[in-house]
Amino acid sequence: MALPKKIKKHLPLVPDKTGKERRQELLDLVTDDGTFLPKGVLHADLDKGILDFVKQRLELVVDGKKVPTIEKIITNQNWAQFTTTWNFNDLDKNIKLPFVTTVRMPEVKYGTLQGGLANIPERKHFYYYTVPTWDGQRKGADVYKIPQPIPVDIGYNIKLFCNRMRELNEFNKIFMQTFTSKQAYINVKGHYLPVIMDDVSDESSKELEKRKYYIANYKITLKGLLIDEEEFQVSPAITRAVTMFEVNTKNRKRKIEYKPPRPDNFDLNITFVSGVTQISEVFNYTADFKIERTDNVSSYSVYINNNYVGDNLETIQITTKDTLKLIVIKQDNTQTSTIYVTSYLL
Amino acid sequence: MSQNKVPITRLNKFFSEEDFNLDINMGEEWLHGDMNFTLVLYKVDKQRTNNDDVYGETIEDGIQFLAPVEFRGYVQIESPSNIDYGSSKLSQMEPGNLKIGVYQTHLDELNIDIEYGDYIGYYETEDRVRYYSVVNDGRVFTDNKHTYGGYKRFYRSIIASPVNDNEFKGL
Repeated sequence: MALPKKIKKHLPLVPDKTGKERRQELLDLVTDDGTFLPKGVLHADLDKGILDFVKQRLELVVDGKKVPTIEKIITNQNWAQFTTTWNFNDLDKNIKLPFVTTVRMPEVKYGTLQGGLANIPERKHFYYYTVPTWDGQRKGADVYKIPQPIPVDIGYNIKLFCNRMRELNEFNKIFMQTFTSKQAYINVKGHYLPVIMDDVSDESSKELEKRKYYIANYKITLKGLLIDEEEFQVSPAITRAVTMFEVNTKNRKRKIEYKPPRPDNFDLNITFVSGVTQISEVFNYTADFKIERTDNVSSYSVYINNNYVGDNLETIQITTKDTLKLIVIKQDNTQTSTIYVTSYLL
Repeated sequence: MSQNKVPITRLNKFFSEEDFNLDINMGEEWLHGDMNFTLVLYKVDKQRTNNDDVYGETIEDGIQFLAPVEFRGYVQIESPSNIDYGSSKLSQMEPGNLKIGVYQTHLDELNIDIEYGDYIGYYETEDRVRYYSVVNDGRVFTDNKHTYGGYKRFYRSIIASPVNDNEFKGL
């Protein structure tokens, strides 16, 4: 006897997520156990998803016995090989009834999952994810791009081969319960894809003088999509930025008047007191000394850094840190002598 | 059916009851003695068979049968055919039907009748038996083919189709 519906068979230890958290959980399923990119989904993956769906969701148990489901898509090549190795063979190595099998229509049509529209031309790639990177020296990022998945519609025939009407009834009940909401979903590598039921038909063998059996054929359509990993693009993002300005070189600014005034020359009087005929000075600037005039000087010799430069020069060129030495011959040694100099700063 | 017996006197100028019986005896001697095709009849016990109330289908291993009876007949097995399961393109090697010619006198001697739905076992080898379900019990055999020169009917043609062992698997 079935348990009353109010009795829970098990209590979930982790509460189910809802709302935004659930949506994030669904998104995480796409990249679970892999890279940051979604896992590729191709025809074989879709077929495997349908086989799992038939095995798990359409499991048929009659009289306490599980009706075996062929866990392969029946193709032209494998059927003959498969039937001889199948665990449930009859005397003639034919598959023993009852069993459930899945036959895929060979043709795969452009899908209607996205409304049947071809809305993006040229396989344009779209941003999917930015993944931070570190090469040991500087941070960076990789930008992952993928094109729009290609919708495909694939038709399948789920067939029950059996001898008894009650097996048909039970399978039909399971099928109708599964598709009572018009569509069921299969999970292919984290992608939930809708499956709709198209038609139910009977292909039973009813000829009087032949072996008799029922074949219930349920036609379903998977509204799938193809995601080819070969089409994914991973490109490095910007790690350094160079910012360039272009400015007008024409100077429109007014000349600034310096206050206080900054003269480029000044007077420098070099005085030799009585009894002194030589003087040395270290200069911390660069300048040209113009000798304007002298007083009580017969002649003078110029040395820079103790190197003789000349006598009675009118211009002396001084560079920063130079040591200027002047030796004068006075007209009257008892009097003070002066050399009047104008220093032009360079 | 009339309980009164009426002697068959047709053809009696050339062919009498004694001739008929002699030929039948000779035929049985050939079929049973020389050919000796042996089959086993499993008559369904309709009282004890466990049926579904609505569909009348038996549950697994639910067919009950009376004591099996060995009988002899002329056996022909049709060629197997490589056919598809419906429109599925799932091919299988479907075994051919079993055609049996059996003397009515033999059935009468064994006190058995072969009816539609009965099962017949035929040993193909010492350890391999195939079961068939009677799909044509040949109960109407008053045609020229089944009469001896138009004198009296004398044998039945029975057709049986192979069954899966989830339907019937003998003892």
